[in-house]
Amino acid sequence: MQASDPVLDIRNLRAMLPGEAGPITLLDDVSLSVCAGETLAVVGESGSGKTMTFRCALGLAPAAARIVAGQVLLEGQDLTSLGPEAMRERRGAVISMIFQDPLTALNPVFTIGSQIAEVIRAHRRIGRAAARALAIDVLRRVHIPDPARRVDDFPHQLSGGMRQRVLIGMAIALNPRMLIADEPTTALDVTVQAQILELLTELRRESGMGMVLITHDLGLVARHADRVAVMYAGRVVETGTVDEVFARPLHPYTTALFRSIPSLEGAAAEMLPAIEGQPPMLADLPPGCAFAPRCFLGRDRADCRTIRPPTDAAVQGTHVSACLHANLIAAEAA
Amino acid sequence: MSATIAARKLPARRRPVPRFLRHPGLVVGGVLLLLLVLVAIAAPVLAPYPPLATDLMNTLSQPSLAHPFGTDQYGRDVLSRLIWGTHVSLEVALAVIGLSLSLGTAIGAIAGFAGGWIERGVMALNDILLAFPGFLLALALVAARGSSLQSVIIAIAIAYTPRVATVMRSVVIVIRPRPFIEASHAMGMTATRVLLRHVVPNALPPVIVVATISAASAILAEAGLSYLGLGIAAPTPTWGNVIADGQGVIASNPWISLSAGLCIAITVIALNLVGDGLRDTLDPQMRRQTGAGLL
Repeated sequence: MQASDPVLDIRNLRAMLPGEAGPITLLDDVSLSVCAGETLAVVGESGSGKTMTFRCALGLAPAAARIVAGQVLLEGQDLTSLGPEAMRERRGAVISMIFQDPLTALNPVFTIGSQIAEVIRAHRRIGRAAARALAIDVLRRVHIPDPARRVDDFPHQLSGGMRQRVLIGMAIALNPRMLIADEPTTALDVTVQAQILELLTELRRESGMGMVLITHDLGLVARHADRVAVMYAGRVVETGTVDEVFARPLHPYTTALFRSIPSLEGAAAEMLPAIEGQPPMLADLPPGCAFAPRCFLGRDRADCRTIRPPTDAAVQGTHVSACLHANLIAAEAA
Repeated sequence: MSATIAARKLPARRRPVPRFLRHPGLVVGGVLLLLLVLVAIAAPVLAPYPPLATDLMNTLSQPSLAHPFGTDQYGRDVLSRLIWGTHVSLEVALAVIGLSLSLGTAIGAIAGFAGGWIERGVMALNDILLAFPGFLLALALVAARGSSLQSVIIAIAIAYTPRVATVMRSVVIVIRPRPFIEASHAMGMTATRVLLRHVVPNALPPVIVVATISAASAILAEAGLSYLGLGIAAPTPTWGNVIADGQGVIASNPWISLSAGLCIAITVIALNLVGDGLRDTLDPQMRRQTGAGLL
């Protein structure tokens, strides 16, 4: 890890949603940081708070959700203290986010060129012709063939992979310092996935921006990320470099995730071990560790059932886990 | 994935214009409407007599070569009055579309996009207007302002604005949660820009259809008001006035009222054909069902 200051530093972020039966904690003490030129993968199942963390960071959370504690430092400045207009000025220019479904994330009634130009013109005072020239340049940077002609295409004339390239182009048009890619390849087929991730990696190297890759796919994490954060029920349960986490996970949830990946070795007919039970409802979290009821370690331990573990319960250098019994994992999992 | 494949199958770079020409109703309606517009514009040239010129030696004449639809009780040429009436009717229709479309779109878009108490307040007012019979509203307004072309236009526009607003709001509510709207916010666009550039253009097609069909009702409403003597004051040639003039002599000279009624019917049919055609061609789901766009 470089000694440089992180571009994005989320500190102890806590977000609540008012519910009928009292407030629901969406995010609980979430801390994540990304340095320049680095890719942080955020993994976890649906509803674990991966997307919500970054929506809150960008001021794009649902209107009812409230950030009740914590800071989101973007190049040292706390975004949670900014007004909506100052926040808007940073979105798309300093910190960009791209979404899961490229098929519906473009406006069907305008050409892709005009939509890229639109983003540029939302942040810079330049004329139409200049914005169009920049849009063509952006299309070239995301490797769209024949950009001068494609700039006048409508979204329906492009394939899913091309549309995701256009969206990435919109996100990086103003050279942001930080790019949040929320499952950028989930809606695409596997060959296109690889191309899109190569493109993202290339753009990150060229510009030195920091990148967050939100994904379910642990294979992608291994190939494209430097560090990984595992989220469960609105908390970060484990963070570390990809090598550390993949070689020796320090949280039972991470271990269970790895075990549920099919392997090329082993009997084909063998059932994959699934994680038992259901992810907890955020409105009804158990009092102790949220994973305890499904955990091979904590299921029968009184402390796991009653004490909510601090997010840094086990620390080995840069490798941090929120498990009270991290030292037992390797032995138990074997 | 299937959407990707479908998108690839489309012939490259097809412009939407030919699709409109493949819809028979839209073509017939469009041609009729175009002819009516030409007649309205060229009224001074086309009309064989001045619309107000009376010929007291030749009242209530039967149709002849000189007067194809005969003359009325003041000896005015009915055809000339109908040709000038086209001008008035289309002017009313166009002004009503313009006013109710711009007002209704703005009201509906702001209500639907803002949500919360703004939406509730605006839509409550809108519903009150909607529940009030439009014709009664028009009657009251004409009674208060006096009968003139302007009064008629304003009255009918006020009556139709809530309909446009209702449709606009419901379409905006459907569009608001779509991913490209969220993506626009994520790219740092201002709310106004998102509304004007992304929400409104996507919401317009159904609203245009409603406006076109409203134009037909506007022409009917103008004729109705004129017929009751509350529309555009008597000597001015409008279709409603011609019907009213012919009403007393309908037994002996049926052409007068009938020809004016026919003009109204043709215009209303033309507008409805265009409205239906636009609905079929602008709405991809309808297009798939009717197959009109796939020929």
